Amino acid sequence: MIGGASSGGGVWGPAGLGGGSMSGGGSVKATADGKGFAEVPAELHDGVAKILALEPEWEEPELKFSHQPADRRPLTVTRMLSMRRLAIIGMLLVLVVETASLQAGPYLIQVGLDRGVLGHDRSVLITAGVASFVAVIVTVLVSALRGAWTGRIAARAMFRLRLRVFAHLQRLSMDYYTNEKAGVILTRMMSDIQALQTLLQDGYAQFFMQFLTLLVVGGVLVHYNVELALITLVLVVPALVALSAWFRSASDRGYLSVRNAVAAVLGDLSETLQGIRVVAAYNRQKQNVIHHRNVVGEYRQANDYTARIAGIYAPTTEFIGLVGQVLILLIGGAMVRRGDLSVGVLTAFVLYIGAFFQPVQQLVQTYNMYQGGKAAMVKLRELLDTDPTVGEGVDAYDLPQVAGEIVFEDVTFGYDPSRPVLHHVDLRLRAGETVAFVGPTGAGKSTIAKLVPRFYDPTQGRVLIDGHDLRDVRLKSLRRQLGVVPQEPFLFAGSIRDNVKFARPTAGDDEVQEAIDLVGLRELVDSLPDGLDTAVHERGVSLSAGERQLIALARTFVARPRVLVLDEATSNLDLMSERKVEAALDRILEGRTAIIVAHRLTTAMRADRVIVIDEGRVVEDGTHADLLQANGPYATMFKIWAEHSLDNSAYRD
Amino acid sequence: MTTIFEPVAEQEEFAEARGHLHGRKDASWLRRMMPVVMSHRAMFFTAVIGSFVALVVQVQIPYVIGRAIDRSLVAKVTPLGGYIVIIAALGAGRWILNLTSRTLLLKTAYRIEYDLRTIIYQHLTRLSFSFFDRVQSGELMARSNSDVRSVQMFLATAPVILAQCAVAVVVFVQMLFVSPALALVAMSTMPLIAVFGVQVRKRLFPISWLEQSLLAQVATAADENINGIRVVKGFAAEGQQVRRMYSVARRARWVVVQDANIRARWSPFLENLPRLAQALLLLVGGWMAYDGSVSVGTLVTFNAYILMLQPPFRQLGLLLMIGQRAKASAQRIFAIVDTEPEIRDRPGSIDLIDCRGELEFDNVTFGYRRDTNVLEGFSLHLRPGETIALVGRSGSGKSTVGRLLARFYDVDEGTVRVDGVDVRRVTVASLRHHVGLVLDEPFLFSMSIRDNIAFGRPDASLADVIAAATAAEADGFVRELEHGYDTIVGERGYTLSGGQRQRIAIARTLLVDPPILVLDDATSAIDAHIEQLIHGALKEAMKNRTTIIIGHRVSTIRLADRVAVLDGGRIVATGTHTELLATEPLYGEILAAVLAEGPLGENDIEDAP
Ligand SMILES: Nc1ncnc2c1ncn2[C@@H]1O[C@H](COP(=O)(O)OP(=O)(O)O)[C@@H](O)[C@H]1O
Ligand SMILES: Nc1ncnc2c1ncn2[C@@H]1O[C@H](COP(=O)(O)OP(=O)(O)O)[C@@H](O)[C@H]1O
Ligand SMILES: [Mg+2]
Ligand SMILES: [Mg+2]
Repeated sequence: MIGGASSGGGVWGPAGLGGGSMSGGGSVKATADGKGFAEVPAELHDGVAKILALEPEWEEPELKFSHQPADRRPLTVTRMLSMRRLAIIGMLLVLVVETASLQAGPYLIQVGLDRGVLGHDRSVLITAGVASFVAVIVTVLVSALRGAWTGRIAARAMFRLRLRVFAHLQRLSMDYYTNEKAGVILTRMMSDIQALQTLLQDGYAQFFMQFLTLLVVGGVLVHYNVELALITLVLVVPALVALSAWFRSASDRGYLSVRNAVAAVLGDLSETLQGIRVVAAYNRQKQNVIHHRNVVGEYRQANDYTARIAGIYAPTTEFIGLVGQVLILLIGGAMVRRGDLSVGVLTAFVLYIGAFFQPVQQLVQTYNMYQGGKAAMVKLRELLDTDPTVGEGVDAYDLPQVAGEIVFEDVTFGYDPSRPVLHHVDLRLRAGETVAFVGPTGAGKSTIAKLVPRFYDPTQGRVLIDGHDLRDVRLKSLRRQLGVVPQEPFLFAGSIRDNVKFARPTAGDDEVQEAIDLVGLRELVDSLPDGLDTAVHERGVSLSAGERQLIALARTFVARPRVLVLDEATSNLDLMSERKVEAALDRILEGRTAIIVAHRLTTAMRADRVIVIDEGRVVEDGTHADLLQANGPYATMFKIWAEHSLDNSAYRD
Repeated sequence: MTTIFEPVAEQEEFAEARGHLHGRKDASWLRRMMPVVMSHRAMFFTAVIGSFVALVVQVQIPYVIGRAIDRSLVAKVTPLGGYIVIIAALGAGRWILNLTSRTLLLKTAYRIEYDLRTIIYQHLTRLSFSFFDRVQSGELMARSNSDVRSVQMFLATAPVILAQCAVAVVVFVQMLFVSPALALVAMSTMPLIAVFGVQVRKRLFPISWLEQSLLAQVATAADENINGIRVVKGFAAEGQQVRRMYSVARRARWVVVQDANIRARWSPFLENLPRLAQALLLLVGGWMAYDGSVSVGTLVTFNAYILMLQPPFRQLGLLLMIGQRAKASAQRIFAIVDTEPEIRDRPGSIDLIDCRGELEFDNVTFGYRRDTNVLEGFSLHLRPGETIALVGRSGSGKSTVGRLLARFYDVDEGTVRVDGVDVRRVTVASLRHHVGLVLDEPFLFSMSIRDNIAFGRPDASLADVIAAATAAEADGFVRELEHGYDTIVGERGYTLSGGQRQRIAIARTLLVDPPILVLDDATSAIDAHIEQLIHGALKEAMKNRTTIIIGHRVSTIRLADRVAVLDGGRIVATGTHTELLATEPLYGEILAAVLAEGPLGENDIEDAP
């Protein structure tokens, strides 16, 4: 890793300092990290430095992200290549020349031997010799041209595809990410695109050349001697075709099971790594090791099957090739004796039949490339064809600066539409109001909180902000005005500063410092030797649960949202820290709408309004005092909570 | 005898790797890989020797064909039939040899891959938390996947390529016998390989290294996005992320183009060296045949020989490339297996059995980072069966106490004792078997709820699972799910609400039935009513257990016999809830005193410390 920089010089770099950090400044940083190569092996230092010296200065990208894909046409190889017709013709020409100059060798040898040596003509011999030199040089030059050219085409195509896939991933909605394993999605971005790159860079050219070689060699054989050529081809080709057909179907089957098996291996590995702390806590190592062995073992078995196929195909084609040579010797020998054929031609035949079989031999490799590319193509097409369930209409407009009135109009929603989680929810949150949502776990509070930033769309009914249906406005204009703090905060690998600045990379240092003060992280930051630049390990595991929540809050404060959604955002805090946060909220929330989900009813007591959710329905709605008076579910809840959460003595004094 | 603490419910269908990677650390990487390769030596050597013999057989074929042309077609002295039989026999021999050796070779490669993958995995599961605090999981994924593949590819193909190169020597010797002069002509271009070798070292290695590292950067950027998608979407930061990807991806594009350029310059050169020799042979050999000093058949044979040199040449370039890559990969793999687990059984450590549950933290000092201590002079004693509530501000080190008890980390100074025995002197598995932790973040695996609950006791019966779920108040909602206990939870369990996940996590620990229980903020996302129900069950469960409860709610703390206040890395006060409220101002601050004043005014904050 260039960026996985290890300042300590050890093998393991400190968590995620490199690899580019996630903030807007990430690009600059990635470049900087890339040029300071801490982990480059010593023997490669000079070479790497020399290459990097050639790297152009990149400009800041001026790229606009849109929820509308720029290109909706299905992904195909031709579209991916996006070559002009002239370029395609040029490339084909290059391939033809390369194949021709490659196959000129045996022909020239035959001419040299037959007409030069046996025909006793020195000048022909010399001409043939010089010509074969020229052919070699032409081959080298044309191969070089072709290699550089296909490399460039493939690199460009992959770059475009990578951005297209990545942008599409950004468009896809939350349900996609919940249902698909993270490791699988990463496979799309990495190995699938890599497989396509190999196919474009080498696969197609090789495939085409191998095909061309077959034609050329076949043609040359016919040209030499029609009879002999036809006899050999008729005897050899059917066997070859049958064998190749078998290979194709068998290896298709094998390839599929290898693909599935390797996905299982990676999935198992990735999940173990994510949950490694739980694995250790529950003494699961032995069980997991055995399970992994079984998963990898399945993969090995799938591979063994392909090994058998490849192990049969290549030697058998070789053998068929030899049979061809023997036949040529037999039949051609007889013809030579009869005087129908020259020895030179026979020699060329023997050599050429070898050349005929070389491409068939290489087919194993090319076909693997092809399979990989094809499977990747199918998967990527599937991904690009997946429409986000929460999409942006073409006529979506920018939501103007909102006052913050939020309305749920008869909202019914289920993650699985046939099993609703919310039933006919009607709510009207006035602008500037702080509303507490309370209710048992699993009642649907977080679900309501997820509908406000439009992470999901209601199955029925609508959600409005300042009278705008959320489905009518641009997602960015909506979410930029909201600040959502989820229950389990996610932090990126990077510095504390980058994490706090995430929502607004342009935020000044003073704003970051202010946010840190507001949430009460000052003490922690001051105690860290690197202060705000301290690296946070992936997902923030190097911080305590409460600290993670505080950083997530600071991140939201820096974003300066018009509407705040806090989903049990302080559940891991002690009351004193929570008090501090709430005081900060009081200041920040002035004039802003806030939705606060909490189990500690102190929060409810302080809110302008309390809404009680149970089993996906609004069961009560009013101020704390009103609801206590009403003596309904909230009053019961509060009683239980007060009995169990407040110490009577403390409450009484 | 530790096995009883590590129950296994799965049938072992594939055996443990017989090889290992524990060779001397200063040995060359190939040397260190040898035990793994050699554990498949029968298969491996059969394959290598088989393909070598096949090549030697193959070398004879052009010779016989040349003789056939010379003797029976040009000179017409011997009948063709005999030669044909010999050629066919040689061909059949080569066929059989290749058939077995290629399959075996590939199978060896896959066995090596299996071994490396499982060895690395096993080692990873034994590494300590501190390792995973430093190293990103994406990095580990790469090392146990693509690095394993590149090592496997090299180990499996190198011997065959080397065998092919050895055949080049055989061919050369054979050619020398036939015609020394022609042999020299045919091999005259070989020394140019050295030029290629130098270029590879100077240009190809660095560029392919750069390519790998840029791809890793692309992967990191993608990975973080996928995992952090909720945050990216929440702040509408998609554009920013796309620009980030653009910046990395265009560098990758640039490097791929450079790589293709360099490769285009050098690999046709290498691959065409044999053809160059063929052209030379035509000129010089043709001249000699013209003069009659060699036969036409010999020329044909030589041409076929040179053709035979083609694949090893093409492969040689490949070998140099993958050799370099494999070396780098192997070093990255060794970096994992050479990391000693910091937490492991010391020699002479004993199993903890019949644990009574007496706990003692004796003057413990501990810090995650060298320069800052989280705990400093921390002492706490729990009698068997006692329940203590640990209270402190966020980040004061409460969770750390639990982690030290289960020996996820070792103390820097002082001692943690269970039943009077230093935890470092008992086996880790037996210790963790007796210490049940409910972690403060309820991580679930994307498998069925039943398997999640049975995580620590995979052999548990469904009845036991249901009993544990019932005690954790999870049974009710689980039954309402579409497939009940067989419902598969999504990535990280995200298809459940936070409180539901926490209840599954509690059930998971209760099922193990440990005599020592640590509940680390285990009910933070659970409402008061359900919490009360769980507490009912817990009270029952805690009767004979030593329990540390970490939490901020008075309701939680009430379950405890005693409360300990953690501040500045040590216990500043212990006592009952009421006592502490009266005597320890910090306790009131952390916990409850604010409530007395009712809803907060802004003024309160100004004088808060
Ligand atoms: N991504 C999801 N997919 C399917 N079901 C879900 C998902 N998230 C939550 N649920 C289910 O929806 C219900 C409500 O969950 P939630 O809104 O998170 O509850 P809470 O009120 O505790 O925040 C729960 O029964 C939960 O299992
Ligand atoms: N894995 C880690 N690496 C580095 N520092 C850590 C790690 N885990 C926790 N810390 C730090 O140690 C301190 C105590 O954390 P913890 O015990 O989780 O606190 P809490 O009392 O909130 O449970 C915190 O300041 C936290 O930042
Ligand atoms: Mg929730
Ligand atoms: Mg904690």
